[in-house]
Amino acid sequence: MLQLLRAGARACLRPTGGRGLNALAEEAGQHLEKPESLARAGPQVPVLHKSDFPVPVHRRPVQAWVESLRGYEQERVGLAELHPDVFSTAPRLDILHQVAIWQKNFRRISYAKTKTRAEVRGGGRKPWPQKGSGRARHGSIRSPIWRGGGVAHGPRGPTSYYYMLPMKLRVQGLKVALTIKLAQDDLHIVDSLQLPTEDPQYLTELARYRRWGDSVLLVDLAHEDMPQNIVAATSRLKTFNLIPAVGLNVHSMLKHQTLILTLQTVAFLEEKLLWHDSRYTPLYPFHLPYCDFP
Amino acid sequence: MAAISGLGVTRRGLAWIIAGVPRRELWSRFSASSFYRDDQSQSSATSMEDRSQFMNREEKKPVVAETLEEVKKEPILVCPPLRSRTYIPPKDLQSRLESCVKEIFGSSAPSNWQNVSLEDGHLKFSFLSRLADDLGHAVPNSRLHEMCRVRDVLDFYNVPVQDRCKFDELIASNLPPNVKITWGY
Repeated sequence: MLQLLRAGARACLRPTGGRGLNALAEEAGQHLEKPESLARAGPQVPVLHKSDFPVPVHRRPVQAWVESLRGYEQERVGLAELHPDVFSTAPRLDILHQVAIWQKNFRRISYAKTKTRAEVRGGGRKPWPQKGSGRARHGSIRSPIWRGGGVAHGPRGPTSYYYMLPMKLRVQGLKVALTIKLAQDDLHIVDSLQLPTEDPQYLTELARYRRWGDSVLLVDLAHEDMPQNIVAATSRLKTFNLIPAVGLNVHSMLKHQTLILTLQTVAFLEEKLLWHDSRYTPLYPFHLPYCDFP
Repeated sequence: MAAISGLGVTRRGLAWIIAGVPRRELWSRFSASSFYRDDQSQSSATSMEDRSQFMNREEKKPVVAETLEEVKKEPILVCPPLRSRTYIPPKDLQSRLESCVKEIFGSSAPSNWQNVSLEDGHLKFSFLSRLADDLGHAVPNSRLHEMCRVRDVLDFYNVPVQDRCKFDELIASNLPPNVKITWGY
């Protein structure tokens, strides 16, 4: 064990490639955590995360602190490098607006329906003769100018507001939302979502101590791997919501004040969102099987 | 018999009732929780002793486990007091930075310490976290990528930060006599 630690420390001092450094650091960090108790002090191996995808030559990766949820004071456990094309794109507020409005409207079906003059019961007969009665001329008692008559231009039947924005536009919306969260200091990266207790008060006090805000969106990789404590704590809280990485969307990111991503989620998002930058147009729809779809 | 069946007894209990077993033996078999449900049951002296022993045995285990857990919880999960975001750069900031650079980067030329690059992840992390712990003010995520050299870090830490909102600042500043600000927060 000590030999492994020493080897890890020696390897860390030598700057190696991205993945190797990351893996070694994580290994050494894991082996360090297990035997030691919760309250540890002194030099720890920092958790360094490097992006798995090549960064364009003219751009530098953006960085963020890697925090931990295990203690109140563990705010700087490591440093994560984030791909600039995902976390530092142009802040296109118009795209963000388009995607947010699309999310709100594409599922909408309005069920409002009113009857026209043809559908209202009655009104087939001319109420009085055209000339001679002294009253205005009318053809039916259900015309729209009559009380109890049909509606002239009212809502007609269930209407669907379904439309789809192009896939690349929706992807760009996600990238812009992540960029804006990082630029406004509302994005926090966490090594994992493990909590010491399942008490929801611990989570609220942690958010208050670190000044995260009133509403927090926690994103993990998949439902199966979510730790029990965080699931129990968030199920009892209204403003702290836990979603898998596939459930990340622009509306939720805008609705919650803070966004918490794990390192695995960051890798997943980078892989999925960067693929669209350099893909061919599909010959057949993407929901059918492809051999190289990420 | 009706009172017993109204308790919601287990299948085992029902079997005992049907077999016509005397009540003393019935109650001694039941668990401690079901005793509390029925306040009207008439219990004999012998079964009371059995029950109290059974209950004591149950109570001892959770009490011991609880005290252990509480002792572990208290020193770790107490929330520390809220920190204020105000930051006033100390007067010896330059010297502090220089000493930090020398500690973490090892030997560096004294005239060139401001030009030291922070490209390596390890060194950057240790340097910035050390400074944040010392000064009580950390570089936010949005500005981490700007910190390429120690000079950028020095410029960042030279800027004071106030915790007041704009309205409080306006109220505190010199206003003309015909301007009144009422701010309920």
